[in-house]
Amino acid sequence: MHTEPAAALELIGVSKRFPGTLALDHVDFAARGGEIHALVGENGAGKSTLVGILGGASAPDTGHVVMDGARRSFASPRDAWAAGIHVIHQELMLFPKLSVAENIFLGVEAGMGLVRRRRWQDAAARLLESLGHRLDPCRSAGTLSVADQQMVEIARALASRARVLVLDEPSAVIAGDEVDALMERLREMREGGVAIVYISHRLEEVFALADRVTVLKDGRRVATRPIENLTQDALTTMMIGRAVKDIFPPRRPRPEEAPVVLSVRNLVSHPRVLDCGLDLQAGEILGLGGLAGAGRSELGEAIFGAAPVRAGTVRFAGEDVTGAPPWEMIRRGMGFLTEDRKSQGLLLLLDIAANISAPALEEFRRAGLLTRGRELKAAEREIARLSIAAPCAESPVTTLSGGNQQKTLFSRWSRLAPKVLILDEPTRGVDVGAKSEIYRIIGSLADNGVAILLISSELSELVGLADRVTVMREGRVTGTLETRDISEEAIMRLAIGAVA
Amino acid sequence: MIRTMADMAGALADTGRVNIPRLALGVMLGLTAVAGIFVNPHFTSPRNLANILEQAAGLGFASIGQTLTVLTGGIDLSIGAIISASSVFLAAGIDGNDAMVWPMVAATLALGALIGATNGLLVVRLGVHPLIVTLGMAAIVEGCILLYTLKPTGSTPIWFEGFAWSRLWGMPASGLVMVSTFAVVALCLARTGLGRNIYAIGDNSVAARMRGIPVGQMQVFVYGASGFFAALAGVYFVSRTGVGDPRIGVPFTLSSITPVILGGTLLAGGKGGVIGTLFGVLLISLIGNVLNHMNVATSIQWVVQGLIILAAVSFQGRRRPL
Repeated sequence: MHTEPAAALELIGVSKRFPGTLALDHVDFAARGGEIHALVGENGAGKSTLVGILGGASAPDTGHVVMDGARRSFASPRDAWAAGIHVIHQELMLFPKLSVAENIFLGVEAGMGLVRRRRWQDAAARLLESLGHRLDPCRSAGTLSVADQQMVEIARALASRARVLVLDEPSAVIAGDEVDALMERLREMREGGVAIVYISHRLEEVFALADRVTVLKDGRRVATRPIENLTQDALTTMMIGRAVKDIFPPRRPRPEEAPVVLSVRNLVSHPRVLDCGLDLQAGEILGLGGLAGAGRSELGEAIFGAAPVRAGTVRFAGEDVTGAPPWEMIRRGMGFLTEDRKSQGLLLLLDIAANISAPALEEFRRAGLLTRGRELKAAEREIARLSIAAPCAESPVTTLSGGNQQKTLFSRWSRLAPKVLILDEPTRGVDVGAKSEIYRIIGSLADNGVAILLISSELSELVGLADRVTVMREGRVTGTLETRDISEEAIMRLAIGAVA
Repeated sequence: MIRTMADMAGALADTGRVNIPRLALGVMLGLTAVAGIFVNPHFTSPRNLANILEQAAGLGFASIGQTLTVLTGGIDLSIGAIISASSVFLAAGIDGNDAMVWPMVAATLALGALIGATNGLLVVRLGVHPLIVTLGMAAIVEGCILLYTLKPTGSTPIWFEGFAWSRLWGMPASGLVMVSTFAVVALCLARTGLGRNIYAIGDNSVAARMRGIPVGQMQVFVYGASGFFAALAGVYFVSRTGVGDPRIGVPFTLSSITPVILGGTLLAGGKGGVIGTLFGVLLISLIGNVLNHMNVATSIQWVVQGLIILAAVSFQGRRRPL
């Protein structure tokens, strides 16, 4: 008979209740040495709570944590770390101003005594080398790319001889080839006997990497299966409880003779925007695809006036607006949803109502003063219309999940009745359920005549939602696919420049 | 023009190999020295150089502790109050009595450290920004001093005044003590786990806590150290003047921040160090020396100091966060 290998770390019958929700409901979970165990589920399914318990950040209400057959209870992340459990959070826990070497060893080689700087540097260089990664150990961590910072975290895990490595959505913040490199490192660590728990929204990665998958939904474990017994569709269905094809909204057929509202010719901006042209018609969704670093976001910013235009023209609603600043583009009816919600989109210290009303304050002004009542009433309407999951319009916007924050931004821009809306990665970091609702919002905006430029790294999103797709490579537009020609393969061919 | 310079400075800083704040500070020290030689033929005389060092001692003691609190991402606005309190406490406690000198010096330093540690404890326990905690503490301490006395008070034996004015190998003892204190603190910051922890907390206190660095204890320690060094400044002033002055510390709350900024320590914490602060202190003393020789009024000297801070910060590049 086949015997199960012993688990390095095991959760047995773990429950965790937060005020108002049962975040985890009798969940079993086991991470074995030499195995990559993927953990999937929508936002709110309980993944973060589970990670919190694995990493010692919170204690379960019932059930227990078992390591090597013995019950353990961790009082703090530090405790769990000392037991060999290393959690790499999506928002990396690094010291941006300190050096790579210090980031790796600070707290590992503990104490208040003398520091052997030279020895730390040498050891850090050796560790990174063993990861196949050349980094100057003296550089400050904040100057590194996110992918390199992840490598520093992994080096830190190696330095502290971690036996269980938990990665919380590592691929959400790095580019495609960097994800490949990361997966390669993780496979090597698996060979070294480390138990790896990998959390991701991207099912392709799960299938490329994992040995087993555990699906969580609404705080309960739906299943734990070896990956070879699963298909992507089956996994998605388990996660969201419905089939994949229902994610994208039904669309009205694209209006054939709609006027061109935005026309870009030979645009040169950043080093990454060399020669770009595109046409956007009223009521259509134009996808903008390409690999990470192809210059898509930069093109969006240049059109919106947020980046300097060095050459070329932007015509908007028949007028030449090349180089006009963002506030003028907004006045003329263009909106831009940034990729980076936190640092560029939301007013983090304000509540939902203030975030919704921000660009249209005139509407709420009486005799020069804002009337809070009107603002709140408008916000309540929007919360209902877009089904934003929020307690009330006065809740801080930071209490919302990523998907609901994104809906708040949609609400903000759609209040302005824009003619053109540029969406930069509108569903990044958002779970499948919220994605589907955002797609519905985008679809209905387009059906109401708004021209949408959809910048996206997710091929399925471009295929499922866009009427046409323009593809960029290394700062140039390499082609535009008409509705009938759109497929993931066709987009990839244009994106990597392969000849068909 | 200023913008271009700032851009260039930013670009240089991005390469990571050039320390712009330090470079700017060096340039300004050089320029001031040249100006000094220009207006004062005796500028480089050992006597004048000794004067510059001596003038720097009080500010030096006050700004060592300030550097530490700023490095952790905080600030100490009670330094001036602690200096005044130490001065009054020490002079009144000695009151001309030879036997009381050393016990009272020890007690004064302990009092400073205690007030500082209380700051740290309140920061940790209340979770309130150090700016507010130390502002409140400053008001309390200053109020208590003024309750006790409104005029200079107490006295010290003449020999105690000798410490502030004495020379070692032709150099002012006060300046040498100040420089060596800087050297010791610099060594601790650069080469001990304690020092690393201070940087780590200022850089990312959440990450520091996650890694098991005792953030609360470190904060109590750092504010305690800041209080200790402020008390040391107070002791120095008593030795210099022979009396306890209830207002002597007032200007030091803000002026102790100036050399920290000039020295390139980020107000947001996590980057910088006391060596930069030492040179910041020397720059200020140097400027005072040159302006004094030109018979420039004190009020104008304040204006010059303000201009220099702004120049230094614009030099350091626009991307510099705080």
